[in-house]
Amino acid sequence: MKKQAYILFAAGTFLFAGCDSTETPDITETDFSPVLNNIGTNVIVATYSDLAVKADALHTAIMTLSADPSALNLEAARTAWIATRSPWEQSEGFLFGPVDQEGLDPALDSWPVNVTDLENVLGSADAITESFLALQEGTLKGFHTIEFLLWGESGNKTIDEFTAREFEYLVAASGTLHNDAEQLFALWNPADGNYINNLIAAGNGSAIYVSQKSALEELTNALIIIADEVANGKINDPFVQEDVTLEESRFSNNSKLDFADNMRSILNIYSGTFNGAGTGEGLDDIISEQDPELHAHILEDIEAAITAIESIPGTFTTAIFGHPTEVAAAQDAVRHLQEILEQDMLPIVSNL
Amino acid sequence: MLILLSGLLIVTSCSVDELPAPDVAIQYMLGGETTIYSSGPDAFTFPLPNLDEAGLAEHFLSDAAFEQQFVSAPAEQFGGLGPVYNHTSCNGCHVRNGRSSIPQFAGDPMSGLLLRLSVPGFDEHGGPLGAPGFGGQLQNKSIYGVQAEGTIAVSEEQKIMTYADGSSVILTHPTYSIADAYMALPENLMISPRNAPPVFGLGLLEAITEADILSHADPADQNGDGVSGHPNTVYDPYTHLMQLGRFGWKAESPSAKHQSEAAAHNDMGLTTPAFPIEHCDGQSNCTEGLQDVVDVDDATIELFAHYFQTLAVPAQRNYNDPQVKKGAALFEEIGCGACHISTYTTGVHPIASLSYQTIHPYTDLLLHDMGDDLADHRPAYAAGGTEWRTAPLWGIGLTQVVNTRATFLHDGRAKTIKEAILWHGGESLASRNAFMQLSAEDRKALLAFLNSL
Repeated sequence: MKKQAYILFAAGTFLFAGCDSTETPDITETDFSPVLNNIGTNVIVATYSDLAVKADALHTAIMTLSADPSALNLEAARTAWIATRSPWEQSEGFLFGPVDQEGLDPALDSWPVNVTDLENVLGSADAITESFLALQEGTLKGFHTIEFLLWGESGNKTIDEFTAREFEYLVAASGTLHNDAEQLFALWNPADGNYINNLIAAGNGSAIYVSQKSALEELTNALIIIADEVANGKINDPFVQEDVTLEESRFSNNSKLDFADNMRSILNIYSGTFNGAGTGEGLDDIISEQDPELHAHILEDIEAAITAIESIPGTFTTAIFGHPTEVAAAQDAVRHLQEILEQDMLPIVSNL
Repeated sequence: MLILLSGLLIVTSCSVDELPAPDVAIQYMLGGETTIYSSGPDAFTFPLPNLDEAGLAEHFLSDAAFEQQFVSAPAEQFGGLGPVYNHTSCNGCHVRNGRSSIPQFAGDPMSGLLLRLSVPGFDEHGGPLGAPGFGGQLQNKSIYGVQAEGTIAVSEEQKIMTYADGSSVILTHPTYSIADAYMALPENLMISPRNAPPVFGLGLLEAITEADILSHADPADQNGDGVSGHPNTVYDPYTHLMQLGRFGWKAESPSAKHQSEAAAHNDMGLTTPAFPIEHCDGQSNCTEGLQDVVDVDDATIELFAHYFQTLAVPAQRNYNDPQVKKGAALFEEIGCGACHISTYTTGVHPIASLSYQTIHPYTDLLLHDMGDDLADHRPAYAAGGTEWRTAPLWGIGLTQVVNTRATFLHDGRAKTIKEAILWHGGESLASRNAFMQLSAEDRKALLAFLNSL
């Protein structure tokens, strides 16, 4: 009974969505659950798992720094922040589900930092604890608040400039970041919140996705969204307005790595791997079958975008003024990727 | 299973080219040429597909503005939040541009529900009179060092309703009050809970001509159908004239721009060109962030408005399903369509993509008495204490796909569309009763239709 109901529903969905196009019908015989399963398990959940592990290490490094403030421990804490930032940026190619619906994106990655409130909290007598921060806005916690405290506004803070209150804040904020990362992982984890099942069971009982196509479209659209954000937001805003205060991750000078990791996020979902793990069943399975030439172009464009970003000389902050040609080239490469994803890849997925 | 599936798909897929009756083919494009085809969690996030390149670029700029979080002044960027406020960004309440969730506990940060406040009387334009010490709404958050006006407390009550076929359903509804108020609440305080509504399709609603809307008004119920919709007439701070109200739960806002500027001001605590004075001005807790600057300029307000003016409406799904078709017929038969009017052709809008579109929002944008159960007893301009604006139904079936926690009606009391129907009273009581007289199968069909929208 259930299966029959599902078939009618799915057929109905196809009716309006795919009918006026001239796609070959044989693709409808394909069961995409291996792709969805692999992307869900070995890319999305694996990225969040890595984020939780790195966030734990960041919290530990900051507790060590707080207990024993030294230039060496400061360097270790900064390295741990950069290491944690990487899986987060590599998760921005799939900003849907719990990260969005449970307010975890703002808790983890709000920008800008509410510097005025931060200074007021530091100057107050309030105990700065995880439970205190749990009640604060994202602009008073998460990656960028920790970054601001670790590097300072000009990015060159030395160990003797840290106050006891700042250590107290850093310990609480990194503990909160770790908790939020764990929660995000738990909400997707099949053994826990099991949000992943919405992907795996797409079109077959998923409350979120009436069809596998609908899940694949969401995945594809999420790639387009991050490409757009990098090209037309993260790079564009500080570059075009020539204003470094519009640059995210400028305290740590991590912006170029942020952008490149966002591109890697696209690569991970597309190719169905994260850190070399996974079956490799990704969106590329669909595209390479339908249009092998496009598949090659997409891979080239992702690589070109990463290369162009990494080729910007120096820091992104200095490059905005010193190397506009290279910044513009990186922006163009990401825009080009966005266009190919939106204009060439999405229609294929939408016509499945 | 898979072979069967594909077989069916091909058959249906081929037949559709020959099959659809013209009216059906048009009807499912709820936003006319601006309709997009998505049934996933991102269904409310797409720009109008018929925007030109410049319009699309503007849309993406406005998307960033809609997501931007504001912080306390002074700040390098995006300062001006508060000192008391409801959320730090537009999309903090309008989760994925859809309905919000109601507080699961006191102070739930994920909720986009707010409380409008007033005391008996009128402001200088005939609108609600702000509550002394609190103004027109409860700002339940504050920047550091400032006391919020209070928190939203929730208690729950139950009501049992029985269908003609003997089955019954228990409805729960929240009652909201104010806890931890920073000063004594006025004795005669009126509270109206408002859950954040979806923001897509507002440009199309703005493009419906005034004459078209007024043509459906029947305040004296001259046609004797028991339905007596009337327009709200509200103050427009741009023209300084009284205008037709279109947006908000009581149609208190005349335009998308006013809706965004009022929200920027009241919900985020930003000072704006039309509202240059902090909303908490003169209150004893309003002690920080009172620089004599306008926090956001007119261009930013226009961007906020542009975003939801250019958000597309998703197409109806499963419109050819026999159950959905039956439900659509029942919808009209039991009178839902008297207020949830299906079809309009828009007039001229400054955003050309919105002009002359045949659309199906399922609303008359008019005010109706909805009965005592739903009443907030807080009048707003011409909207009485039991009256609400007919909510548009396009996209309603995707509400909980977009936000699994989202609920329905002004105070978010209805966990399902069925519950929302059961809460209908007043002018809609006859239709609600007719729904309860339907067989279980017919009720399912009606809900299948609503879920297809």
